[in-house]
Amino acid sequence: MMMNQGANAQAVAAADPNSLESRYAFDANQGHAQSYLPSASGSEAASWTVHKVEGYPSQDGVPANANYQHGQQPEPHTKNVQDGSYVAPLSSSSTVGTASAPQDYNSYTSYSNTTDPYSAYSGYYNGYQQLTNNQYSQQQPNPSYSQSVEAYQNTGAAYQPNSSFQNTGSYAGTASYSTTYYNPGNYQTAGGYPSSGYNNQPTASNSGSYANYTSYQYPNYTSDTSSAYGSGSAPTTFQQQYKQWPEYYSQTEVTCAPGTEHLSAAGNSNHGSSLPSVSGGYPTPTNQPQPQPLPLPPPPPPPSLNPTWRPETSSSVLPSMQPGGAASGAHDNYWNQTAPSFQTHLAAPTQPLYQNSLDSKTSYENFQELKTAPQGQNSQYPVYQVSQNYQPTSPTVPSFDARRVSKLQIPTNPRIASNAALGIAKTEKDGSAANSLPRPAYVSVAVQKPKDKMSSNNAADPMLKPTMYPKSLCGYVERAFGRYKDDDKKREACEAFMKEIITEAIAEGTLYTRDWDSMPLFTLPDSHSVNNENIRSPTPAAIPNYKKSPIRRSKSRWEPLPEVKMLDKPVSASNETGKFGSWDKRTFNGYSATKDNSLSSFRFSASQQKTPSKSAQRPMKRQRIVNGAGLTNNDDDASSDGDKDQSLTAYYSGAMALADNPEEKKRRESRSKRFERGQGHRPDINYFKPKNAGPANLYTKRASALMLSKSFDDSANQAVEDIDWDALTVKGTCQEIEKRFLRLTSAPDPSTVRPEDVLEKALLMVQNSQKNYLYKCDQLKSIRQDLTVQRIRNQLTVKVYETHARLAMEVGDLAEFNQCQSQLQILYSEGIEGCLMEFAAYNLLCVILHSNNKRDLLTSMSRLTQEAKEDGAVKHALAVRAAVTSGNYVAFFKLYKSAPNLNTCLMDLYVKKMRYQAAVCMSKSYRPTVPISYISQILGFSNATAEGNGEKVLTGLDECLEWLKAHGASLITDNTGEMQLDAKASSSTLFMPEPEDAVAHGDSSLAVNDFLARTS
Amino acid sequence: MAYLSMGESHRRITDYLNRFADAINYQDGDSLARLFSVSSDSPSLLSLADALNVFQDANRLIKQSEKFSQFGEVVAPFFRSLQCYRLGNLVDAYGAFEKASNAFIQEFRNWESGWALEALYVIAYEIRVLAERADRELASNGKSPEKLKGAGSFLMKVFGVLAGSCDLQGKGPKRVGALYVTCQLFKIYFKLGTVNLCRSVIRSIETARIFDFEEFPIRDKVTYMYYTGRLEVLNENFPAADQKLSYALTHCCLSKEANIRMILKYLIPVKLSIGILPKKQLLENYDLVEYNNIVEALKRGDLRLLRSALQENEDQFLRSGVYLVLEKLELQVYQRLLKKIYIIQKQKDPSKAHQVKLEVIVKALKWLEIEMDLDEVECIVAILIYKNLMKGYFAHKSKVVVLSKQDPFPKLNGKPVAS
Repeated sequence: MMMNQGANAQAVAAADPNSLESRYAFDANQGHAQSYLPSASGSEAASWTVHKVEGYPSQDGVPANANYQHGQQPEPHTKNVQDGSYVAPLSSSSTVGTASAPQDYNSYTSYSNTTDPYSAYSGYYNGYQQLTNNQYSQQQPNPSYSQSVEAYQNTGAAYQPNSSFQNTGSYAGTASYSTTYYNPGNYQTAGGYPSSGYNNQPTASNSGSYANYTSYQYPNYTSDTSSAYGSGSAPTTFQQQYKQWPEYYSQTEVTCAPGTEHLSAAGNSNHGSSLPSVSGGYPTPTNQPQPQPLPLPPPPPPPSLNPTWRPETSSSVLPSMQPGGAASGAHDNYWNQTAPSFQTHLAAPTQPLYQNSLDSKTSYENFQELKTAPQGQNSQYPVYQVSQNYQPTSPTVPSFDARRVSKLQIPTNPRIASNAALGIAKTEKDGSAANSLPRPAYVSVAVQKPKDKMSSNNAADPMLKPTMYPKSLCGYVERAFGRYKDDDKKREACEAFMKEIITEAIAEGTLYTRDWDSMPLFTLPDSHSVNNENIRSPTPAAIPNYKKSPIRRSKSRWEPLPEVKMLDKPVSASNETGKFGSWDKRTFNGYSATKDNSLSSFRFSASQQKTPSKSAQRPMKRQRIVNGAGLTNNDDDASSDGDKDQSLTAYYSGAMALADNPEEKKRRESRSKRFERGQGHRPDINYFKPKNAGPANLYTKRASALMLSKSFDDSANQAVEDIDWDALTVKGTCQEIEKRFLRLTSAPDPSTVRPEDVLEKALLMVQNSQKNYLYKCDQLKSIRQDLTVQRIRNQLTVKVYETHARLAMEVGDLAEFNQCQSQLQILYSEGIEGCLMEFAAYNLLCVILHSNNKRDLLTSMSRLTQEAKEDGAVKHALAVRAAVTSGNYVAFFKLYKSAPNLNTCLMDLYVKKMRYQAAVCMSKSYRPTVPISYISQILGFSNATAEGNGEKVLTGLDECLEWLKAHGASLITDNTGEMQLDAKASSSTLFMPEPEDAVAHGDSSLAVNDFLARTS
Repeated sequence: MAYLSMGESHRRITDYLNRFADAINYQDGDSLARLFSVSSDSPSLLSLADALNVFQDANRLIKQSEKFSQFGEVVAPFFRSLQCYRLGNLVDAYGAFEKASNAFIQEFRNWESGWALEALYVIAYEIRVLAERADRELASNGKSPEKLKGAGSFLMKVFGVLAGSCDLQGKGPKRVGALYVTCQLFKIYFKLGTVNLCRSVIRSIETARIFDFEEFPIRDKVTYMYYTGRLEVLNENFPAADQKLSYALTHCCLSKEANIRMILKYLIPVKLSIGILPKKQLLENYDLVEYNNIVEALKRGDLRLLRSALQENEDQFLRSGVYLVLEKLELQVYQRLLKKIYIIQKQKDPSKAHQVKLEVIVKALKWLEIEMDLDEVECIVAILIYKNLMKGYFAHKSKVVVLSKQDPFPKLNGKPVAS
């Protein structure tokens, strides 16, 4: 789960950049808030916000909400108490509790949306960087699936930096992981989600939607996503494109309906807090300013809020912020709001309530509302409803909450977005709450977060209000999910079914007229399909991970692979073992217990789980792992870009807010068009354009279908097909000299690829390194990879391969040597200078001594030029060949002693065999005896005979004696006292002993000790 | 190209189509084969190609009547191939021909008897030749030649059709065609240097029950033995190589001198390796003079001559793949040299003839301008004894080779040097 969340968070982050405006703003806010929070470590502030939020939820009067609040509250508190790392975990946990649902949703949403669209885009996005990503996302709402994925990745990259910043700053280690799981997941997801959601939906159109998104994200991740979706759906493009989103929406909506008030309240409070926190926490002033301008109306409030929030969030959030980077803002808000609520209420109770009763119904209501809403979110909403799958999973509970929140938020969000990014978020929540549910909580929220939100909400409120799901439907959904409480997969499948049913009902207009109470529960499809769905939606965390993985893949083969692998595997593992458990624990325990310690411990456990899996998957990238531990791999990777990301997010958030008003929308459209043109990629993709809504839906459908079947692979494949290799030739930006090798499974990320000058340094470093071969081999392989990725084929490339080949030779690593050798042949044939002769000789020796393939030998020999035959090394190799073919051991060992370059190393590997042949030959042809001293000299045992150094000769003699004995020779001493080989006796007793260092797998260089040392 | 009227073009195309349909209707394999041999440059096909270039809409003619249209899938791409071939566009010609061949194979599969084997042979041959030419064209354009590889896989499919036909009905009538296809495959694989791919085909030819080697046409058997013999040469399995190449030589039509020469090119080194020297006349008759000096060196025990002969023709020997085989003759030359020394000593002093001092051998080598120190010569002697080219033993203390009194230099007599 953690992983997933983390992935989601990343994805969200990515998405945010894509969405640029609102998403970014939100993300940035969130991320800032998070980061700030950790730094500020003013837990109290967070708690304050929470309290306010709590009040709202409670006002709403939804028990579930109350529960949530309870659970959350404890967590926030704990977090606050814990401060640094603890806070982070707490915050994360709190987010999980309160926001957990939201987070999950977010992640889910982001997953579905992000994965599909982004995968394709990822590559592009990577190349284009964040800005491009943003543009893309905006532009390409529909095509976006693939593109969007890319965008996600890109954004992810951008976000990663941000998150990494946060992570690095506050978290670096395992704690960060745990946080990453939850917090990161949440945070990131929140950030990413909004972005992803934003990308898709927002791009389509709405700053408003963006605002919603952000707001949603803030309150609850799920809610965020849902809201984002809703907003996105409003644009229509989102809906179409993001089937998953729709699902999310539906979920969120559902949750919103029941818990909407609470959620919205929470969300509002969250927003408020997040906004403040963002502003405050966000060191980047830009963010704050941006949000302010964007939300124009709210701006004033946000600032004010920010300060207040800051203290709160900073204190409590700080820890959480760090982990959740992107989502931190949301989390903070959540924490603040939710935490308080949680404190008051019991987390555990809330969850069940939300999930069962509230989820479906509320979501439906929300959906309806959304649909009815002017924005056109309605259509999208149905789709989102489908996403109810999320609910089934443990995260579902939170998701429900989130959904509710999201519903509320969603409506509010757009408004909020329009108003002010940061302020909007809060206001949105408030507004959404108010709009969707005229609940006290909302009111309170509104109060807290000024009227700006309210105003924004007002617009959205009408829409929301109409759409409420009938209680009977909620009950139905509850029942449906209740059957699969223990089975996440089934729950997911169930969600999907529910979504279908609900969407159908909505389409038929029977949502309210149907007798849900008497409606028979559907039976789940086979586990297979369920599994697929599960992958996406089971746990928010899992979903995020998935999304991330696809995204990354699509983005850059290099980075993505490790991440994807890690994500996937971890996700699955975590799902089974710790993720869900951790979620539950966090949500339940943390919330209910309100124990900082427990939360922290949970987080830690989660982090631990994640870290091992990650590390196992990609042992090579230490940094990344650390970052990943910090929660978001992306963040880590992009750590250096963190500042940029933040500012970008801020910018985006502002843009989002602006996007609400039609003029700004138009402007944005034209802007996005411009970007498209400039980029030259996917000109058709305009996520923001409402026109694309239909196509977008198709895309979403397809994307979701893809995701269902195998989201990762498909997205990756898509990406591969669409890749313009020339455009994608990576220009590395990584300045790290040391880098572990990791086989790429997706497009490389420029931020992890070293440019040529750095590679040169890296080569020097390896050459001068005193470390063992495994280390050097690893480093050289990564250098080779970076060279390949950047299509660098020059003398440096030759040098690297030559260095590696020599090193491999020295330790007898023939496999690696052969790789280098074959590459060198190609490089030489391209006319690049190098030690051509030296390696021609090596090649010959290799063929002669090791492959013993007559045909290869003939080919190699016939390829030698006259010039080559004159070369000393080649001559030597040819002489060795002749000696070997004729069995002339005397000549062989003479050549052995006079070997130039590293020819000795290759001959070394043949020495044993040659000696044995010689011994057999001598024992057959000599009579009666052969002096050992002679044998020792002939067979190269005594290297020092020429020097006449008695001692050395002796050592050679002893060695020879040992060797002969080991091979079963029969030795006698003649009357002069000299040791002799009894030729006749030996001729029948000689044997080739089993090699002492033989290992089962045939490669002694892979001995366990070294192997372990390699990964350390 | 002389002017060609539309009417004439039409006539030629229809004529070809008629002949094609007739050949199939009457199951006339030979006629059908002629209609396929693009690369034979037969006048009738060339004129057809010209006609096709004038009359661009040949497909319409094919579709016109049921009689032709049933073979449309074969004839239409064939026409295109012929056109391209005539225009010198060999890559496209190959592509179209492969398409036509594919369609023909489908038809062929349905014919119960093997009447069309001749046509199939022509197709297998044409596909290889066209692929080779197409590859040359590709290579000259700087593109990677890959058509021959494609032809290889296509022929493998054809082989499967022929072999598969046998599985269904015991010994199917088409199985005898398998060896021809195999030989075409050998040619491709040897050309591509992927001789290891031959193994699977050989295995099925030699082990599958449906194949009775004696049943195959003699020409295919000779070709098959030639290539498998070459493979044995590469493996340095001289007795087997000798057996296969000798079979090819004895069954090869005497009029095919080029083929005999090709066989001898490999058979001579093999025979030399097992101690059988050719007559000079044979080398001269078949223009294999590159072996002259080597044979001479073996006769005289002249190591220097052997080395210079190898050096002189190194490229050629490396290319044909016999270099390593010839190089191994060195030991036989040493044997001859020692034998000469032994004979001379025997003439001088029969009682001490069986003891050859190492110094004497070193001196003899020096006369041949080959510098070797005592240790190396000692090693050579040890190897000679070890490899049973010399009977006796070496006394290290006194640096003397003590030869057996009975047959100290055993002849190989058709057996390879012990490894």
